[in-house]
Amino acid sequence: MHVSEWPLVVFTILAQMSVGSFVALGVVQVFARRKADVATVDKLSDPALYAIGPVMVGGLLASLFHLGNPLNVFNVLNGLGSSWLSREIFFGSAFAVAGAVFAVCQWRGWLTPLLRQVLAAVTAAIGLVLVLSMSMVYLLDTVPAWNSWTTPVTFYLTTLLLGALAVGTAFVVEAWVRRTRGKEQDAAADTLMRSALKGIGIAAIALLAAEFVVIPTYVLSLANDGSAAAGSSAAALMAGGGAWFVARLVLVALGAGVLGFFLYRTASKGTEKILAITAVSAFALVLVAETLGRVLFYNQMFHVGI
Amino acid sequence: MTMAKQLGFYLDQNYCTGCKACQIACKDKNDLPVGVTWRRVVEYTGGAWTVDDNAGTFSPHVFTYYTSVSCNHCDNPLCVEVCPTEAMTKGADGVVTVDADKCIGCRYCEWACPYSAPQFNAESGVVTKCDFCADYLAEGKDPACVAACPVRVLKFGEIAELRARYGAAADIEPLPDPSITRPNLVITPHRNAEMVGSGTGHIANPEEI
Repeated sequence: MHVSEWPLVVFTILAQMSVGSFVALGVVQVFARRKADVATVDKLSDPALYAIGPVMVGGLLASLFHLGNPLNVFNVLNGLGSSWLSREIFFGSAFAVAGAVFAVCQWRGWLTPLLRQVLAAVTAAIGLVLVLSMSMVYLLDTVPAWNSWTTPVTFYLTTLLLGALAVGTAFVVEAWVRRTRGKEQDAAADTLMRSALKGIGIAAIALLAAEFVVIPTYVLSLANDGSAAAGSSAAALMAGGGAWFVARLVLVALGAGVLGFFLYRTASKGTEKILAITAVSAFALVLVAETLGRVLFYNQMFHVGI
Repeated sequence: MTMAKQLGFYLDQNYCTGCKACQIACKDKNDLPVGVTWRRVVEYTGGAWTVDDNAGTFSPHVFTYYTSVSCNHCDNPLCVEVCPTEAMTKGADGVVTVDADKCIGCRYCEWACPYSAPQFNAESGVVTKCDFCADYLAEGKDPACVAACPVRVLKFGEIAELRARYGAAADIEPLPDPSITRPNLVITPHRNAEMVGSGTGHIANPEEI
């Protein structure tokens, strides 16, 4: 297994995780406001929100390492009308800027709550368009392994899976930090966190199920493609006797499936420590699994012809 | 009716010996580093057995033929289409060139091109490719690859003239389906040439492509 495209692996994984986290926080906000007051909900979601920024910026910085001549990087906007790669970078930067503006407004209490909500919705929409642009980059007629509906679907599944579990991890880390700093325990916030983690556990299982429909469908269409390029891509997927591919499947099944189920259970009645360990482990396993999957995705680059 | 000017290459596979003089002349003229080879000679090899039940014999049919390929300065250049910087452009003479001052070295064109024409130069950090020896053409000379061919089967010219004289075939294995990029390439197929999509052979020198 070679990792020559590591800047693209890091960029796509971190950017998708950022978008997914932002969307997941939005969903938490929508559900939580039915049960708790805005202050309690914000107390839960704001620290997670502030963590998204550095992750997204880290992803964008990693993408620069892919370029042979990063000094010309601003030329990337020349092709907005024709190239999906231009659109990917445009929407990536737009998501980072809109997210930063929203985070600052939320932190300083600027604008009215309604306007902040609108800003958050716009940011989430830009993020989802970013993930679409990222996947369109790979829909090349000449690369059969990439030119499939499964590319955008897989990118969105990775986005939501990593986003949900990253947000869950942020919640338990926050709770742990509050406890170790000896801050007063907030029963309302704790209840809210537990019901959010229940939802995250269910979401992880559902998204895993979707992934396990898409992956075999994709692999069989690749096997049936018939072109020499697709054959080489299938062989790349099975590099090392398929060990990396199997590891990727087992890890995501453990992280999102088994630990997703435990997350749901421990969120109902587990101790805070067990809950934290479960949430962090689920996220870590899925992060490794999706990263492995992305490395394999780039290793499958074989174009038709010569 | 006047047609827009468009240069193209022609190759007669029947008499190409696979000597790679074109490849080396290109590499020398353009001072290309190791790993960057704008013109490559692809060796396509295959074969099968014919069974004669009456005689109880097996007759082998084996073949190898060569295809010299650089950039085909396509009518539908995917490299130009996907380029995020507009560094890759198609000029008035139909020649596709890359502007090193605009290129960011993202290598997206390398993924898209089914002829592996755009190639990243790690020393300069940008993508490079065949420019049809524009400087030689300006001096009235032939491109280095064409001038070097010892059997005179690699030619260049106005694509309309080449097609009028030699036909329009470019759908020969192991080349990609020409409907993808509409290459300005004309090939006189080898007598054992296999059509795109019905190839039984394989590229025998992948490490050289």
